[in-house]
Amino acid sequence: MYLFILKRILQSIPVLLGVSLLTFIMVRSAPGGPFDQDRNVPPEVIKHLNEHYHLNDPLWKQYLDYLWSLLHGDFGPSFKFQSHTVNDLIAAGFPPTMELAFYATLFALIFGLIAGITASLKPNSLQDYVPMSTAMIGICMPSFVLGPLLLLIFGIWLQWLPVAGWGQIDGDKILPSVTLGAAYAAYIARISRGGMLEILSQDYIRTARAKGLSTARIVFVHALRGGITPVISFLGPAIAGLLAGSFVVETIFQIPGLGRFYVQAAFNRDYTMIMGCTIFFAFLIVIFNLLADVLLVLLNPKLRQEVSGGR
Amino acid sequence: MNELNINIEKGTSLTQDAFIRLRKNKMAMIGLCILIFFIAIALLTPLIAPYTYEGQNLELGATSPSQQHWLGTDVLGRDQLTRIMYGSRVSLMVGFIATAVALLIGVLWGATAGFLGGRVDAIMMRIVDALYALPFTIFIILLTVIFGSSMLLLFLAIGAVEWLTMARIVRGQVLTIKRQEFVEAAITMGLSPWQIITRHLIPNVLGPIIVYTTLTIPSVILLESFLSFLGLGIQPPQSSWGSLISGGTETMEEYPWLLVFPGLALSLTLFSLNFLGDGLRDALDPRASKD
Amino acid sequence: MKHFLRILLMFISVIALSDCKKHKTLVELGNEQQILHVGNGDEISTVDPQSTSGMPEYHVILSLYEGLVSKNPQTLEIVPAVAESWEVSDDGMVYTFHIRDSAKWSNGEKLVANDFVQSWLRGLMPALGNEYASSYFVIKNGQNIYEKKVGVEEFGAKVLDQQTLQVTLIAPTPYFLQLLDHHSMYPVHIPTIKKFGALDERGTRWTRPENFVNNGPFILSEWTPNKYLSVKKNPNYWDAKNVHLNEIRYYPIQKSSTEERMFRSGQLHATYYLPRDKLAVYKKTKDPALRSYANYATYFYRFNNRIKPLDDVRVRKALAYSIDRNKIVEYVTKFGQIPAYSLTPPDTHGYVAQAKMPFNISLAQKLLAEAGYPNGVGFPELKITFNTSDEHQNIAVAVQQMWKQNLGINVVLENTEWKVFLDKEKQMDYQIDRASWVGDYLDPNTFLEMFITDNGNNRTGFSNSHYDALLAKAALESYKEKRMAYFQEAEKILVDSVPILPFYTYNWNRLVSPSVQGWYDNLMDYYPFKNVYLIP
Repeated sequence: MYLFILKRILQSIPVLLGVSLLTFIMVRSAPGGPFDQDRNVPPEVIKHLNEHYHLNDPLWKQYLDYLWSLLHGDFGPSFKFQSHTVNDLIAAGFPPTMELAFYATLFALIFGLIAGITASLKPNSLQDYVPMSTAMIGICMPSFVLGPLLLLIFGIWLQWLPVAGWGQIDGDKILPSVTLGAAYAAYIARISRGGMLEILSQDYIRTARAKGLSTARIVFVHALRGGITPVISFLGPAIAGLLAGSFVVETIFQIPGLGRFYVQAAFNRDYTMIMGCTIFFAFLIVIFNLLADVLLVLLNPKLRQEVSGGR
Repeated sequence: MNELNINIEKGTSLTQDAFIRLRKNKMAMIGLCILIFFIAIALLTPLIAPYTYEGQNLELGATSPSQQHWLGTDVLGRDQLTRIMYGSRVSLMVGFIATAVALLIGVLWGATAGFLGGRVDAIMMRIVDALYALPFTIFIILLTVIFGSSMLLLFLAIGAVEWLTMARIVRGQVLTIKRQEFVEAAITMGLSPWQIITRHLIPNVLGPIIVYTTLTIPSVILLESFLSFLGLGIQPPQSSWGSLISGGTETMEEYPWLLVFPGLALSLTLFSLNFLGDGLRDALDPRASKD
Repeated sequence: MKHFLRILLMFISVIALSDCKKHKTLVELGNEQQILHVGNGDEISTVDPQSTSGMPEYHVILSLYEGLVSKNPQTLEIVPAVAESWEVSDDGMVYTFHIRDSAKWSNGEKLVANDFVQSWLRGLMPALGNEYASSYFVIKNGQNIYEKKVGVEEFGAKVLDQQTLQVTLIAPTPYFLQLLDHHSMYPVHIPTIKKFGALDERGTRWTRPENFVNNGPFILSEWTPNKYLSVKKNPNYWDAKNVHLNEIRYYPIQKSSTEERMFRSGQLHATYYLPRDKLAVYKKTKDPALRSYANYATYFYRFNNRIKPLDDVRVRKALAYSIDRNKIVEYVTKFGQIPAYSLTPPDTHGYVAQAKMPFNISLAQKLLAEAGYPNGVGFPELKITFNTSDEHQNIAVAVQQMWKQNLGINVVLENTEWKVFLDKEKQMDYQIDRASWVGDYLDPNTFLEMFITDNGNNRTGFSNSHYDALLAKAALESYKEKRMAYFQEAEKILVDSVPILPFYTYNWNRLVSPSVQGWYDNLMDYYPFKNVYLIP
């Protein structure tokens, strides 16, 4: 098991290197530089700024220098937000984003599992269609529509919830979490429904039913355990996707998260910030995928054997 | 992660049986009908559109639905029905073509990796892993920024992002099928790897591919609308559903019809595709219901 | 099915119940505690006044620093600030400022004349990358020091004694006092900067709240990027008894629709801007929160004067004369803008441009025919490039239609991302592109000098030696009437050669809660919070 984890971590190093190189090339081939503005900036000023940030060095040297400082845990200074380093900004932006992703996942899990399980108990009936259609709203509506819509209803008309902010006013975390989680609720509903259908059709469940166990008991004790496995294998990549995809929600709800910094950085040509965020996110994605796999292995005895057998 | 999934997924092929099962699924059939309706509209738009998509009437401005303009007009006095109809062409085209791009790359990549196996497989799948770890939002933003936002690029960029999962699924399927007898027979008969992949392997993993394709189209359409939200989508004065909607959200209190109608068109299409995809999956192989 | 509905219902009721009790809004709380919540557009890059140029930065810096002079927010007249009085020599070349005795830094140290000289010399250090370094060039030897041709001891700003500063200019610059209220002219605390790095090093930690020392009415208290920046009352400020607010929170909100929602639900006292389509709504209800006022800025298109067929002045005229600006302002932008027929906005300290471009479709058609394209036949397909924004897009779409209808020519639209747009414009890799200009100080010069040959902001290829000479003459002229006459003549040249196509003078729209007192609207969108207070 440890060997498996260690191997995966070692494998991720070239992956991260590849990601950083690809991003570096792409960022540097984008037209316009970090210091370009509407108003003319005198060429001497640009020259001095480029010197200050070592942008005049050959590209390969800049890349290697960057990797070198990265090894020391230094993501470099932000070009746009001069008073902050990229480390500062990631440290400031990551907690809200992580928290948002956590609540969104929680919502998606609760809502998605309920809908999926309810639907699976009576496939192709009203009990299947209604929950699934409700869950489906999340993937049939872009979050930049769902968010403002929820805001209009709960924030402006009913005045139940605040319309923006994160942790400033009570209840300001509800709407963003629901908005972000909605899309994933649909996927989870769909996957858990599929997983449940499969389990429910298997012999041991039929035996359990024949023995006269209640539906609730069958679902929660027997079926859920098997049905939930595909959900977990989906969650790893999904949490990573949530993190990166939180930009829209963060913008609409004015949340000081990393997603906003990241997209802003791309538009600002804040080279170090783009690189830093990409590597940071890539690292997270790798970690979450690994976590999901480990969890899967732990849940599934058959796989456990395979892994410890050295694959 | 792939290695772990091998045993769970098994390939099946399209059968008569599956079609009968699909027809029993009401939601999927409704979805299919709606989809055909929208495709028909998109194809016929130049013939049946009541106005031109760029024709303005500045003095008129934004008006709610009326007899002249069934779905109202936008702030520049352009007929919204017409704009939604033209938008359907763009959105569906992005959906289908970008998915086709993803399909092409993903299937070939996955099948090759799965079939050749060994070191080639390992390298190819590591590349997929690396791309997976790349946050795709920025990837697409940078691509559109570097190459300017053209329709063709939009297809390629989105397709380039969406092929990864396809490659994984296909590879998993191929790995299982490869061990079956008819493939081994083909190998002993001396067919080239290319021939085996295209003639034997791909046709036999068609089921999951079709299912996944149906589910990729809606996410591609959504991705295009996200790009419109960022202002990187389609060039004006053309419109896509995404660009209409992202404009509509800004004025949803003043001119709700500018959000409701394009939103409805988009949501209905996505609903249809999702239910159709689910139905296909249930029909083709109830056991493959895993992403 | 039943389970599902029941749980769904529970979920909704939990949300509903948990927040049913009515809280006081941030605005109501703020009114009680004199805390102002204000939208500030975008996250600021720094609070160092000598290495920034953005508007959001400017609004924050206005609370943190104070220059020798300041402006009255109602009339925009120059009023004393750190300097309590000053004298000007007869030729307008030498200014002597008397710094008030009570002026202090936020750490209690006394603010002296030398602080200004040292701060300006810092602003002139090339490595700092100060985008406004050229604002010191009006001071004697400013440019030479920047280019390292002479030593700093030759600088035109001299300390006569601790309280007295003498500034010698290179030419009588009638707007010099206005320049002094520009943020690059504000004093910075040199010892603090030195403590955290070299004087000319960007982005050291001296600008962080825990290290920061400043001289304005407020001090930096908290700065969480993308959340808010908070400043608190500075007890060491010389005029602290007239500062009423205890705290100001600047929120970096990029989406004006988000901002407007926050205002409506009592989370903001004032917005930075207003969504375009909301203006009509607020106007209709005569909402007292709506502020709508002209802005010292012009929206225009640049023509690339170097390429065919735009190198022909008749073509440019035809394009410019066939635009119905009233229609654009009234039906497309709908933001209360004033149609513009020349570059400078009207009524800037008595200057109103006399030369105007006509709106005359038949004349435009005639000119186009003379240029060899009767009814647009044979006219190449031109491209309008603009940066991503609904407003630019709608204008471009309307212009496209007008040219098609009025002249029979086709243009295509190109929507590009901001930095790509800037890159194209600078390399003159465009045919027609969108532009705007905001005046730095109230004087026609801030607009007209843009089109001097080889000015970095020209970017049209327009070059006219007579025009250049007129502006050079105006720079040396100290009599107001004569100066204005030079500007009028220059503007006439500009209007006749049409290197640009002006559309309108900007109008600024924002929401300010009626509980905010002492916030005035003006042409420069200048709103210091020094004297603002809140009533319940």
